[in-house]
Amino acid sequence: MDLHKFGIKFFAVDGQRIDILKLIPLYHRWIQHNALQELLIDVADYSHVPAGPGVMLIAHEGNYALDETGHERGVVYYSKRRLSGELPERFARVAQRALTAARLMSADAELDGTLNVPGNRLQFFANDRLLAPNTDAAYAELEPAFKAFLERLYSGAPYRLARETDPRERLSVTVQADTEAPLETLLARLS
Amino acid sequence: MPVDLAREIDVFEGQIELKKQGKIEDKLFAETRLRRGAYGQRYDNGQRHDGIAHRSLPFPTPTTKGPETLWDAPGMQRIKIPFGGLNPDQMDVLADVAEEYSDAICHITTRQDVQLHYVHIEDTPDVMRRLASVGITTREACGNSVRNVTACTLAGVCRCEVFDVTPYAKATAYHLLGHPDTQEMGRKFKIAFSGCKTSSCGLTNIHDLGFIARTWQENGVTRRGFEVVVGGGLGAVPYDAKLFDAAVPEEEILPLAQATCRVFARLGEKRNRGRARMKFLIEKLGFDEFRRLVLEERRILPPDRRWTDYLKDIERYHETPTQAPSKLDLANLDPEFEAWRATNVYPQRQSGYVVATVTLPLGDITSWQLRQLANVARRYVGDNVRATVEQNLILRWVSEGDLPALYAELKRLDLALGGAGKIEDVVACPGTDTCKLGIAASRGLAAVLHERLVERQKNGAIEPAVRDLHIKMSGCFNSCGQHHLADIGFYGVSRKVGGATVPHFRVLMGGEWENNGATYGLTIGAVPSKRIPEFIDHVTQRYVAERQSGERFKSYVTRIGKKALKEMVDAFSSVPPYAVDRSLYSDWRDPREFTISDITTGECAGEVVPQIQFDLQAAEQRNFEAQVYLEQGEFQKADEAAYQSMLIAARGLVRTQFWDLPDEPDPIAAEFKTRFYDTGLFQSPDAGQYAGGKFALYLLNRHADKARTFTADKARHLVEEAQLFIEAAYGCQQRMSEERARALASLDLPAATTDATAAAEATA
Repeated sequence: MDLHKFGIKFFAVDGQRIDILKLIPLYHRWIQHNALQELLIDVADYSHVPAGPGVMLIAHEGNYALDETGHERGVVYYSKRRLSGELPERFARVAQRALTAARLMSADAELDGTLNVPGNRLQFFANDRLLAPNTDAAYAELEPAFKAFLERLYSGAPYRLARETDPRERLSVTVQADTEAPLETLLARLS
Repeated sequence: MPVDLAREIDVFEGQIELKKQGKIEDKLFAETRLRRGAYGQRYDNGQRHDGIAHRSLPFPTPTTKGPETLWDAPGMQRIKIPFGGLNPDQMDVLADVAEEYSDAICHITTRQDVQLHYVHIEDTPDVMRRLASVGITTREACGNSVRNVTACTLAGVCRCEVFDVTPYAKATAYHLLGHPDTQEMGRKFKIAFSGCKTSSCGLTNIHDLGFIARTWQENGVTRRGFEVVVGGGLGAVPYDAKLFDAAVPEEEILPLAQATCRVFARLGEKRNRGRARMKFLIEKLGFDEFRRLVLEERRILPPDRRWTDYLKDIERYHETPTQAPSKLDLANLDPEFEAWRATNVYPQRQSGYVVATVTLPLGDITSWQLRQLANVARRYVGDNVRATVEQNLILRWVSEGDLPALYAELKRLDLALGGAGKIEDVVACPGTDTCKLGIAASRGLAAVLHERLVERQKNGAIEPAVRDLHIKMSGCFNSCGQHHLADIGFYGVSRKVGGATVPHFRVLMGGEWENNGATYGLTIGAVPSKRIPEFIDHVTQRYVAERQSGERFKSYVTRIGKKALKEMVDAFSSVPPYAVDRSLYSDWRDPREFTISDITTGECAGEVVPQIQFDLQAAEQRNFEAQVYLEQGEFQKADEAAYQSMLIAARGLVRTQFWDLPDEPDPIAAEFKTRFYDTGLFQSPDAGQYAGGKFALYLLNRHADKARTFTADKARHLVEEAQLFIEAAYGCQQRMSEERARALASLDLPAATTDATAAAEATA
């Protein structure tokens, strides 16, 4: 499957501690200082929408956010444009971007240490129903590449998968790894 | 998907490809995409002030999608929802496209549209196809066209309406959609329907064309019709709509709307965009002359069966509830539910049914919520969902006894917010968040006010008289937030303070939402953006303290007078020096130091592109399809498509002189021969003595060939000939345009006047 539009969200622990409005100045600073080495465009504030996309950083190739979907906060990145490389490589690149944002946010004084993303729980979603509907067949097509990516991310540590069951929702899988690793380690494994 | 919709989208996708190849010029493509609802968004010129300095946004694709509009810059997709009517399948698809092509948010606008932001132009055909699969079109959602036709959200279930205006609004929307008479307007044209004169939801007073339901007796029979008003509009200078006719019979509304569009298209201003709305045309012509012209135009309109076809079943028009009517068991009701019911539930005219409002903060709903809400709708109300001009959604035909269960479902979706239509239900346009024209952060301010007022209401700290007030705001004077109609309205401005720029909002007070938006608020003065919340506290406290028994805010404002109001505003107008308090030098929810340098040219006005250019583009597209047929070995189809492409080009040329040309091959060919071939107008003086005439004969000969046999060679030749014919048509159009410009220069008349005069003469 030639999937390009998808996202990965790394869940935060105790995410409700974060003052989400503090992300607005933080993201603006990232734009000013080109903190993510890519074309960052603007900040979109949806903090008024319960369980929504939170505060977003709109970039050309994809969007970053402290997403609140399902009342579970987490750092998400999803790609909007074509990605190069084979599918496992694309998964790794999208995960890298989410993890990089999570690492920067965790270390930012503005958030005062309130963001804790252990990296051992993530959600993958295919953001392209035409190509990857939420069906067993579509998942079967993606599964080998996705598992190869997880093998690399968690370095062979065991994990459990849970798929979204509502066929109208996006094809998505929540992954719970048995062990935690620092974000730097996860990033190093993907680099 | 309907075939014609599918084809339109294919054509648009082809135009995107041609634009990428540099084969369509910027203005034409801009108006083309605008007429498909694909709108520009802030920073799409590739420049953005990041709070420190202006920086270029280095988008990778060098192409543009309009004047100073970069290809890769995210844009807004507006989606027309006639009268706000939605069904669950449409909600599902809206949710999906918002998630996959936008930012997982559907935004409901003040004109019952849906908007998606941060959409890439190359994704728009897919968005349009998926919407078309559930009967939604984005056609003419922007640009110089008839915009979404709005109507009372309570139409059909309202306790005070004269009759249900829904089928009339629907017929008008689809009759005028893509209609030739609406394609040459100099600006947008807005239509609204109201079921009565006194309630607020139709807002006919602020529309170019408003229809207010009424009945009368004629020979002992009750006749349905409308009071028709024209020339209303907000914008920088709001105009009240004027009474055009107190009683237009129902069978006359479509031809009257069509005639009005014709007059507006023909005589409306085309060059000065700030004076191009119909209200200015009426002012310029004088109301009586405008009315005379519309009625004269109506008299000569070629008859159209569609004007009355839809009326045959109109009295039988009805909506189908999914549940039987029932009564609410009033015993042991939860206080939270009761508080929600008090503001968000409206008992319908039909016993046992109610309307439930789903309050959306700032008009935003997530994809997940919308999809879940679609399921709730399937269970409780079926196809009876509408978007409102107060940026909410309503569920109609809820069986009253189902309300507690419905409320529980909405609570699960975080959609059980109360206060619909109350002070905390703040209305705001996109402002500086995404709009190219935004001066101040209307959404930032609206979010702050909404959160603050919801919190106060939870604590019981809002007086009932205050809670009934409406707050509406716009990011600039263009009034998309309908600030003129609010009890307390705001629009964004800026002020220089000690060399720095400070975001402000200009305050209006005493506007009237009721009576179809009958009274516009008084402009009082400007308050720094960051001081607006305390200003609202002050105003509302004064109102509570000083109001006379039962006195409404509008009456209070009138009674205390502008001087007192100005004093109130002035008390909050001071700005401390930058060194003392920097916070006032940035806007709500945007910490960047405030600047107005990100404002660029808006696309509300669209680009004025003559219809002939769209026709020639369509001719090219058809001939391209002929080439594809040729490649596939479908020679008859190729031949016919090439012939049609010449007819399209010829029709476009003829219609510059004879607007009512029937869209049939015989009259097109005959009129083209008379007006362009016999006169030599089609022949290019630069293409050799015979070339132009030869190209014209390609069409005339093919048209005369009634017993044509279809072969590969003939088809191939005709496709080539059609291309030459279209090129010659382009040349002819260019020469006519230059000729007109020369004539104008010699007469020193504005172009629009001359064009209009020529067209008027041609029509007459």
